[in-house]
Amino acid sequence: MRQLRVIKTLIKLRLSNLMVFRLSFFGAFLIDGSMFALQLVMFNTIYSQVDSIGGWSRGEVVIFIGTFSMINALNMLIYFFGINDLPQRILDGRLDHYLTKPGSPLLRLTFESVDIGSIPLVLGSIGIIAYGVSLAGITLTAGKVAAYIVMVLLMTLLWYDVELILRCIPFFVISAGGITQLEQFIELCFKVPGVLFKGVFKVLFYFVLPYGVMATVPTQLLAGTLTPGGLCYAVFIAALFTALALGLWRLGVKNYKSASS
Amino acid sequence: MNVIQTEHLTKTYKRFEKEAGLKGSVRSLFNRKFISKTAVDDFSLSIGEGEFVGLIGPNGAGKTTLVKMLTGIIAPTSGKVSVLGYYPNKLENSFKRQYAVVMGQKSQLFPELSAADTFLLFKELYAIPDEEYRQNLAYFTELFGIQEYLNVQVRTLSLGERMKMELIAALLHNPKVLFLDEPTIGLDAIAQKQIRSFLREVNGQRGTTIILTSHYMEDIKSLCGRGVVINHGKKLYDGALTSLFDRYQTHKRITVLFEHENGLHLPEDIEILEQNPYKVSMMVKRERAKEVLGLLLEECDISDLTIEEDDIGSVVERIYAGGITDEEVS
Repeated sequence: MRQLRVIKTLIKLRLSNLMVFRLSFFGAFLIDGSMFALQLVMFNTIYSQVDSIGGWSRGEVVIFIGTFSMINALNMLIYFFGINDLPQRILDGRLDHYLTKPGSPLLRLTFESVDIGSIPLVLGSIGIIAYGVSLAGITLTAGKVAAYIVMVLLMTLLWYDVELILRCIPFFVISAGGITQLEQFIELCFKVPGVLFKGVFKVLFYFVLPYGVMATVPTQLLAGTLTPGGLCYAVFIAALFTALALGLWRLGVKNYKSASS
Repeated sequence: MNVIQTEHLTKTYKRFEKEAGLKGSVRSLFNRKFISKTAVDDFSLSIGEGEFVGLIGPNGAGKTTLVKMLTGIIAPTSGKVSVLGYYPNKLENSFKRQYAVVMGQKSQLFPELSAADTFLLFKELYAIPDEEYRQNLAYFTELFGIQEYLNVQVRTLSLGERMKMELIAALLHNPKVLFLDEPTIGLDAIAQKQIRSFLREVNGQRGTTIILTSHYMEDIKSLCGRGVVINHGKKLYDGALTSLFDRYQTHKRITVLFEHENGLHLPEDIEILEQNPYKVSMMVKRERAKEVLGLLLEECDISDLTIEEDDIGSVVERIYAGGITDEEVS
């Protein structure tokens, strides 16, 4: 309950902060909305030429794109701008004040910079998913929709875990300049359905950096092609990476060196 | 009762070392060199409830590292530390609710919002009851006389006003222990005086234990009954400040500006720091200050005169050079 009140206050403060700068407040909608439109144009251009990829119908591919956009939008809406700056905070000592305040410093960092400019992206993603569902001729039930929502949230948590793990590295090294560049490169693979990966790449993007699972599994769930094994694996990998991320964060805090002032 | 207790506390950092230039960078790519730096060395300290203790030392002496270990921000390399009965680096919420830390060079306020907005977040973080929050906010803002700045964007506040807000933010939850790391750094004389007066009130009226690090001798002298001198991570002195200053603050710095060009000749035993036809700056032994001032007033047309106490660095150097007995350190 206390944590929820802290989260509520953080979100209120963030909104106040955004409203201080009118350009930022309305600009966020404009920028994120434009990014979304660009993605739509790009994906439409690519996929208008193909009906099936790796056994996936056009409808499933469209659901995949919508799911990817949705997870990406939730990532930006909730936590990305909060934890993105973590490496710099570790290296320049700005984490000090977070550690000395009651409550979880990670919770505060996570919810401190929500980005309401991503809301149109969320709404747009829902539109794409609905379009994909109609294209694929999927019959929706309340149970299926609820399971899909839970899976999307679980995969958003998995993405958070991977981002957090990468951003905890500066706790243990002297410089972390290349981490976000590496991440941006790897995230490109997130835009490809996981079923397309074979051999070493399948191992890499399903087990080591599970970007291949994130948008693929919810899509399979909605399309009714997810096996019980695939479902268990998705839950397992999300739980495993959550435990890893939290463990690494705790270890990092113990290893935190701050910075001279 | 001791609220802070450390025994043989030590903190050693590994620091990355690299030769200058591209060659050095390439070499360090394959062969990383680290050097160890002991920032706090075998440090034992006890601080009782309600004390106002000054941590004195030059830059890099280990003061801030000690404060960071006491607040749990960093873990010690070895030794024991207990603050309010807790091991700080466990970062327990029940511990964090009982202390506060203000760092002069690291703000805890949201720069784009008003200080009142940050206070609301702190109210939630510390779970401060509504009535207590209202009372404390009214008490502290009145004490500083800054009610009219509560709703002003922090970024637009002066350094002095911001520091006052930082102190209020730190005290809203009635901490038992307050750590202050250079709270008056960069402030003008009036703001420094106001902050000193505020801290004196907080310590006297609320019984808050305060640990203060400062470069300004005046902060330490006017606020702290007890001083702990640190250099190279080691404790050089721990005791009453009056006897410390009597013994080691032996010089005054006198700076004089002349109305007209002046070829003043001073006695040879006076250390001249700077001299030109319109200005002279010198270090004079305290007992000779009156005599030298008399000489200056008699022989020169003075346009301005400044007399300053020894700075902390000089006092620490003198303590270091002169040595300290075991009794003084304990």
